[in-house]
Amino acid sequence: MTRTPDSRRNNGSASHAEVTASASDSQSGFVGNTLMGLMPFAVGIVLASLLHFVLPHVIPGRAGPYYSRIVTDIGIAIIMAVSLNIVNGMTGQFSIGHAGFMTLGGYMAAFMSYYGSMYLWGSAETHGGFLGTGELLFVMSCISGGLLAAGAGYVVGLPSLRLRGDYLAIVTLGFGEIIRVILQQTGKVIDNAQALKTGGLSQMIPPPVGGALGFDDVPKYTNLFWVYTILTVTLVVAYRLKRSGLGRAMISVREDEIAAQAMGVNIARQKVLAFVIAAFFAGVAGGLFAHERGVILSPKDAGFQRSFDYVIMTVLGGRGSITGVMLAAGLLTALPEFLREFEQYRLIVYALLLIIMMLVRPQGLLGIHEIWDLWPRRRSTSLPSSTVATSATSSPEAR
Amino acid sequence: MATVHYFPDPLFPPMSDFVQTLITALAIGSLYALIALGYTMVYGILKFINFAHSDIVVLGAWLSYTLAVRILPSLGLDPHNPATVPPFWVAAVVMLAAMVFCGVIGFAIERLAYRRLRRAPRLNVLITAIGVSLLLQNIGQLDFVFGASPQKMPALLPSWELASITFGEGESARRVVLGLIDVVIFSLATTLMLLMQYLVFHTKLGVAMRAVSFNTDNAALMGIPVDRVVSFTFVLGSVLAAAAGFLYVTKYPSMNQPAHAVWVLLGLKAFVAAVIGGIGNVRGAVLGGFVIAFVEQFGAFYISSNYRDVYVFALLIVILLVKPSGLLGSPVREKV
Amino acid sequence: MTKPPAITTAEKKTATGSEALLDINSIGISFGGLKAVQNFSLQLPAAGLFGLIGPNGAGKTTIFNLLTGVYEPDSGEIHLASRRLFNCRPHEITAAGIARTFQNIRLFPDLSVLDNVRLAGQLHNRHGLLSTLLRTRGYRFEEHLLQERAFNLLEIFDLQDRAHELASNLSYGHQRKLEIVRALATNPQVLLLDEPAAGLNPQEKKLLALSIQQIRDRFQVAVLLIEHDMPLVMEICEQIIVLDHGMTICRGTPREVQNDERVIAAYLGSGLSDG
Repeated sequence: MTRTPDSRRNNGSASHAEVTASASDSQSGFVGNTLMGLMPFAVGIVLASLLHFVLPHVIPGRAGPYYSRIVTDIGIAIIMAVSLNIVNGMTGQFSIGHAGFMTLGGYMAAFMSYYGSMYLWGSAETHGGFLGTGELLFVMSCISGGLLAAGAGYVVGLPSLRLRGDYLAIVTLGFGEIIRVILQQTGKVIDNAQALKTGGLSQMIPPPVGGALGFDDVPKYTNLFWVYTILTVTLVVAYRLKRSGLGRAMISVREDEIAAQAMGVNIARQKVLAFVIAAFFAGVAGGLFAHERGVILSPKDAGFQRSFDYVIMTVLGGRGSITGVMLAAGLLTALPEFLREFEQYRLIVYALLLIIMMLVRPQGLLGIHEIWDLWPRRRSTSLPSSTVATSATSSPEAR
Repeated sequence: MATVHYFPDPLFPPMSDFVQTLITALAIGSLYALIALGYTMVYGILKFINFAHSDIVVLGAWLSYTLAVRILPSLGLDPHNPATVPPFWVAAVVMLAAMVFCGVIGFAIERLAYRRLRRAPRLNVLITAIGVSLLLQNIGQLDFVFGASPQKMPALLPSWELASITFGEGESARRVVLGLIDVVIFSLATTLMLLMQYLVFHTKLGVAMRAVSFNTDNAALMGIPVDRVVSFTFVLGSVLAAAAGFLYVTKYPSMNQPAHAVWVLLGLKAFVAAVIGGIGNVRGAVLGGFVIAFVEQFGAFYISSNYRDVYVFALLIVILLVKPSGLLGSPVREKV
Repeated sequence: MTKPPAITTAEKKTATGSEALLDINSIGISFGGLKAVQNFSLQLPAAGLFGLIGPNGAGKTTIFNLLTGVYEPDSGEIHLASRRLFNCRPHEITAAGIARTFQNIRLFPDLSVLDNVRLAGQLHNRHGLLSTLLRTRGYRFEEHLLQERAFNLLEIFDLQDRAHELASNLSYGHQRKLEIVRALATNPQVLLLDEPAAGLNPQEKKLLALSIQQIRDRFQVAVLLIEHDMPLVMEICEQIIVLDHGMTICRGTPREVQNDERVIAAYLGSGLSDG
């Protein structure tokens, strides 16, 4: 690996040859590398199933469902906060309508699984066991909820081509409120499978998802396994994005739009992409939320209050810090459960936290760092930096 | 659509409905304009959206209520009987007290939170403003403050009919009423706006405000007391917001709890008005207020009242895409 | 950026031939009533090194903004290698081969030095969202190549030891240097330098003069330089264009410009010769 930085031409071809060599190195381990690419997902799924099967036995008795509900809520909150952080933290835009995407996706998912169940099995009860046909329908529903939300994310992201951050905030806030208003105008839920099959398409306009009263009786498929599997996907996506060229481009938009453009970044594309990805995961999280036990999906969920919860999590966690936001989301979801008698004061405390945070530590708890950055770096001899550094110091023609 | 139209052809509704909608739009529009002025002045000077401005409106409204239900019994009147109407000075006292109190709160918010962030990135200030907004809302919801349940504002103004016109005859006759409240709202709001206009464009303080808005650092170098001008702007905006809050609940006495979405939407629409008119532009805010009210009221009437909020935001998005600087705003180029 | 740079350089040569690489034909722009730039023309040959000087507010940076798509000219045309740049957004212009630095440093402060360079180098990368998220082989290969190229560049400018520091932690002189490295990483045909010597000490200025010439030779780029430091400009530029109030008042070799009366008048006699 010795190189002399001669002319640029030589440099280019030298590095080219070298890269080809390293590529053929990796060819032998091609299967291994591909597996490595999928590894985090596998680990996540194993952990999720452990959680799913073990947690109910660790906390026995009547408290079990209560705690697994909290753990479920934490998972959903982390999905929401981490995905919002792609827009607010990494790309430096400011969305305060994330709950709008969540609720839109939730309604879509609930619509599909409820009427899908009705159509296929004649009732809206859960169907099949763990990983059974019912859960398959549920996962498909959540994904389509995510896709619909991603479409909405595209539409909301479009004005960001023309608008600066604070105007965009208003557009996203308006988006959430519009979703709320539109959902209130929907029709009554059809609870009769016979009527559904004979009624034809006209009964689907406006969509029969319950109007202002909310969408009741959605089959309760959400469990720890699915929440934490999807959480894993969200985290891997967020992390890989952050460490990739796309993530760099997003961060450059946050840092300095004009310089980013001058370096060839299509800032409009990056902003819309951030919105689409974030909205997708919010939509999927909405699907999980809609199928959670004890939840009645209602248009209110799209409103700004819920969106603010997620904004606070991202602000406290730190700009673009995935682990910081996870921490904040977990804490802010779990703590109120144990401080129920102070419910009145919850939002006052949140508000004060926001203000004090901005005055004292505006970059958030972890700033731009991840939690492991807090410990001194171990891998000081990682590959490219050290080799290049030594080869450069040994070359007389470095400058 | 849920609204029942009693006329056969929606394109040609009776004249009466048109006139009635016009009156409402003028009254509501002047309220939007009043609130929008607060947003636009703060934006003009500090370049950030004062999210908590709508909560000052709420504060003004709830203070008016609290004062009214205290004052009326001491005069021997029943605050919950809409037929009893107190003398005019009660309304004036309630409104002035609300304005003074909100002015103090506005001053305090700027002093304690925003002033320290004057050199911070805009996003941080926006987040702080959201924090202040949440704080005001939820303190208001506490049991020992305003409480978390809706209330009914006592009638402070008599429900006089100043004028009424009857359109049509016999069965189809419809009467349009011009109420005292609408006239009071419109004239009071207009007076306040004219005062504002005078203040900003014809006084020394107004010159200082415009100088700070143009360039804070240069204004400071020219000897303008920037801090005092900014404080004054907040006080002024809050006073106008309190007046708007008072007038709003006199027109619509059913009051929602402080953190209710209705209030946020009210503030949001006023902000939209400021943006549509061209944020930072005082005349634009007034124009925007009326434009919003007309779109909302006529949209609600002619299309469907269920989607009244949707029209406003649709208009916002159209304006932002077509002319991002607003109707009266001038485009800004970022210095590279 | 997967193809070796050698090919790109060869293409440059054939594309330009004898005519100018960057051909600016009487562009102009006005803001409100102010005519910031009028009738500005310039033919910059491949590997040319031209200077753009003039008093403050003469419209120099505005010309850079016009060239890089920040502003759209009201009139006139810009051709790069015989291709007309029309209605292009800034990132498209960068992709076409014009890169710039900024007068007031505009690095990405919270990205590492390496990432600043990698970001600029990735503009021709083809791998999209899906391959990024799955970390496919092609994607990893591309990132690897990008990293190599970035390190090569940092090495040339002796910044490789700082690669993992945040850009905001660099010294002022290093930040200026990194701006140039970052612009070069976009693999430009034309490099626009906006006051690269501002705030540097005499020692650093001397090095800068040297490295601007070296950059031109080694990377085969045409350089257009805005600079207030007259000795520097006079020393390295082949041609100099003098602007005042948006108008071109003089153009020629350093010697010609130095002796031009209009130029001296524009500077109010203030030290063209002694800098």
